[in-house]
Amino acid sequence: MTSIEDQLAAEAEELDGYFSDTPLEPQPNYPPLNEKFDNAIIILNLPQVPDSKLEKLTKVVMKLVSRIGNLAVNEDTGFSGVLMPFNNDKGTTEGFAFCEYETPEEAKNAIGVLDGYKFDKNHSLNVVPYPRAEKLQKMKETEFVEPERPPFVEKPNATAWLEDPSQRDQFVIRYGKETAVYWYDHKSDPVVDYAGEREKEAGVSWCEYYCHWSPKGSYLATLVPARGVILWSGSDYEKVGRFVAPDVKTVMFSPQENYLLTNNMRLDDETAIKVYHIQSGKLMRAFPLFPDNFPRGDNNNIPPPPFQWSHDDNYLARMGQDLISIYSTPTMRLLDKKSLLAEGIHEFHWSPKANVLACWSPEQSNSPAHVDLIEIPSRKKLRQKNLFNVTKCSMVWHDDGEFLAVKVTRHTKSKKTLYNNIELFRVNDPGVPVEMLDIKDAVMSLVWEPRGTRFAMIHAENPSSTKVDVSFYDMMKKVPESTISINKKGGNKKGPPQMTTVAELNKIETLEGKQCNVLFWSPAGSTILMASLGDSASGTLEFYDVNSKTLVIKEHYRANKVLWDPAGRTVATCVSQPVEGGHFKFAMDNGYILWSFQGKQLYQQSFETFYQLLWRPRENLLSKQEIKKVKKNLKNYEKQFEKADKERQRALYLEETKGKRAERKKYRDLLSQLRELRREQKRRHVELQDGYDSDDEEHYTTREMAIETILSTKEEVVL
Amino acid sequence: MRPYLLQGHERPITVVKYNHDGDLLFSASKDQVPSMWRTENGERLGTFHGHKGTIWDLDVDRFSRWLLTASADATVKMWACETGECLQTFPHRGPVRGVAWSENNRTFATISDPFVEHNAKISIFDTESDSVDPVLEIDIPKEHGKRVNATKIWWTYLNEHLLVSFDNGVIRLYNPITGDIDDEIRAHEKKINRLQMNKDKTLFITSSADFTAKLYDAVNLQHLKTYQTDRPVNDAVISETKDHILLGGGQEAMSVTTTSGKVGKFETRFFWLVYEEEFGCVKGHFGPINALATNPNGLNYASGAEDGYVRLHFFDKSYLDMKDPVPEAEESIDGDDDDDDQKPAAADQ
Repeated sequence: MTSIEDQLAAEAEELDGYFSDTPLEPQPNYPPLNEKFDNAIIILNLPQVPDSKLEKLTKVVMKLVSRIGNLAVNEDTGFSGVLMPFNNDKGTTEGFAFCEYETPEEAKNAIGVLDGYKFDKNHSLNVVPYPRAEKLQKMKETEFVEPERPPFVEKPNATAWLEDPSQRDQFVIRYGKETAVYWYDHKSDPVVDYAGEREKEAGVSWCEYYCHWSPKGSYLATLVPARGVILWSGSDYEKVGRFVAPDVKTVMFSPQENYLLTNNMRLDDETAIKVYHIQSGKLMRAFPLFPDNFPRGDNNNIPPPPFQWSHDDNYLARMGQDLISIYSTPTMRLLDKKSLLAEGIHEFHWSPKANVLACWSPEQSNSPAHVDLIEIPSRKKLRQKNLFNVTKCSMVWHDDGEFLAVKVTRHTKSKKTLYNNIELFRVNDPGVPVEMLDIKDAVMSLVWEPRGTRFAMIHAENPSSTKVDVSFYDMMKKVPESTISINKKGGNKKGPPQMTTVAELNKIETLEGKQCNVLFWSPAGSTILMASLGDSASGTLEFYDVNSKTLVIKEHYRANKVLWDPAGRTVATCVSQPVEGGHFKFAMDNGYILWSFQGKQLYQQSFETFYQLLWRPRENLLSKQEIKKVKKNLKNYEKQFEKADKERQRALYLEETKGKRAERKKYRDLLSQLRELRREQKRRHVELQDGYDSDDEEHYTTREMAIETILSTKEEVVL
Repeated sequence: MRPYLLQGHERPITVVKYNHDGDLLFSASKDQVPSMWRTENGERLGTFHGHKGTIWDLDVDRFSRWLLTASADATVKMWACETGECLQTFPHRGPVRGVAWSENNRTFATISDPFVEHNAKISIFDTESDSVDPVLEIDIPKEHGKRVNATKIWWTYLNEHLLVSFDNGVIRLYNPITGDIDDEIRAHEKKINRLQMNKDKTLFITSSADFTAKLYDAVNLQHLKTYQTDRPVNDAVISETKDHILLGGGQEAMSVTTTSGKVGKFETRFFWLVYEEEFGCVKGHFGPINALATNPNGLNYASGAEDGYVRLHFFDKSYLDMKDPVPEAEESIDGDDDDDDQKPAAADQ
């Protein structure tokens, strides 16, 4: 009997050559199993509809999602790319849908577009990537434990600096690698408050680019282009916020200090402009440098249109092609989901005190150029002013939003000669009356007087001439009361007639033959600094008091910036250079000078490299009544302040002289030591000179000489 | 009081110097002819003709007999002050930058610039020997392959050392017998334009292109004070009668034409010696000031500038009466208000 082994061996021998160990060729071509589902999304918060409406809803959803990308349609399985589960128990849809795209990019894009999309009145969509839902599903549900409240951390007092007992102002300067905040009492030399000592110790710099104060002076923002923006606040300059913004070039605070806008000026960055919420540090929204379809000019020389905040932080607006996009806070969504259409718009400005926009558009095919005042959010046109033959407009709001000046440059029919006029809007008066001021000259600059009704402008017949005229106008006219109410009986005989103001434009005066290119009103009004700034200018500074008509002329050669302190007591003129460096020819003039509003030089400081000086802004906290009260009691305050000033100065003087006295003693001691040494060496010195003592007075002989000088001769004939 | 405007030169002034008694003023310029003036009235007493190059420096002996002039024509000439006659010519190998009588009024030292294959040199001459060759020559070798120029030379009080300043910011003490370097300090980062000693040679002040002047103790070579300005300093002197420092300088001559006169800062600036603070300035020149000198009697000072003028200023009474701003006695916090004017007006206009 043969064993099983033998049988098998024989069988194998027979079959040898029929089977091989190598795998079958070719391998069946299975598609790779995709387990990632990253091209799928889940749309939540859809309406729950009954069977009857299912078809309609599916249609709407399909239309919505298919617009974004190609759906992963599978004809074999009949999958349409969207799956909307139906709950048979409830008889309605579940209120969500799965959606699959061909690529993960499309899915990502869909999330960006659809998340937060207002599907209808009651449903705004919530869209999540499928993998996230999967992850959530896997999570085990446990007892909810209330997270522990983080311990309360007191924020530094942002207004601590206002409580300075001697009511000093502050300013920050950037020079070399330093950034320093100074106290300034408008009399003695500035004193350093903080210069980044803490950061220096840690081996970092607290500012590597420019710095900016927030509009109310609560924060100091310093720019570190490698990382972003840092906010400092409180009396110790604590770090209160950090905002990521690589390559940041500029920042802009919202007027109420709620938001911070950063900009890195990069064309290739889709998120060049970022808007942060300051308190929470949350990124609200990001924008590219240019709005879509914005005309960039022939040589890409049109600068990006700037964002502008409304005065109350409620709106952020930017101009686009034929429209203004207004985003409302805190959602940062377009106001009423659509931009404000403004055909051909060229420029717009928010009113500094109301949610009113002023914008102008040049002449279009058959509509004239026009300046519009538009109220937001109602989009109501408060006023439209049509203008003809316009070449260019520029708009200047009064600080209180009461007046708007529009400088209009017009051309004659032949377009050969240009002339100017100024349209003045009285925004707060009913119907917004507009007055026109005809100026034959070219107007170079127009500025409103803060806290006043006057404006000043530079004009000249030839814009390139060095001598220009400066004119002052008042929007209100002072007239005796009697001219208004003629029929009033009596009362006017005694004393001067009561004066009152009427809304009537009148010219105050013209100063002729001035050498200036920029005007700077003091924030307190009344005083104006007429400056000639820039590289080719003379640096002449003329301090003019419009009320008393006094003029003081000073000079700061090569000055390129003028900055008034918030109270209008001191004005700084700077010679600064850009941080980016480059060749700066007159680096040796770099520095700043502080002047009193009367043109007296108070302080001067020079630096090898000087970049920036900024006064810390102060909020105006007093009401009109309170200001009136202060003004009434000015004499008392004056006495108090004078006394405090004197005491402080005395203390400072004593401190200084103490140090100086010690210095002097040191020097005198050294000098007497050296003289003693010379006395000891005297004998040897005399020997050197062959025994002649050069200090011995006896070697001198005094000789008296009479010198006769004939002053004049005169010949007279004596008869 | 209006200064005397000494209009005797046709080119930028290089040096002004009073004699020991202060009754004579010597000036030299790039026009090759040094002048001698009477201090009292600004009258020109005479000129010294003979050089063929810029006069960089001059020195007069203790008794105002002999004037030494150092010139870019590579010679030093000794003149008789009274007659204006050239007594001797001492040839050098390069332009001569500086010259200084020793305290014994017999020997003098010079510094000369590198020229062709020669390095800069310090030379010592003896006027009583018959030869016009130097008694001692000290070679100043190149540093890091760069030639070093000496800018000013002085003898110390007992002829123990030669005090020499250099254009690399260094000051050295040389032994006048062996020629060895006895001491060296780095005073400035940039060129030292001039070094001036006071009369008893206890202090000296350096003026540098780095916008500062520095005061040193000449015995111990200790740095005492720094005077900061915003323009290069060409010359600085220590007042003999007051604790004041006078600084002169201004925009570099090469960039003067591109700036207006007002901003060139061509003033003589007055500083408190101890407090390092500026308290006044005297305007007038319309080119950078190259040379300053104060009269040993403290009544006047002279400035010479790139504009070719020497201005001889007599101090006003208000300057002569000026007191130190810091009272001698310690004061109490509520002491009487004495009117210490912190910044008295400039000496004159």
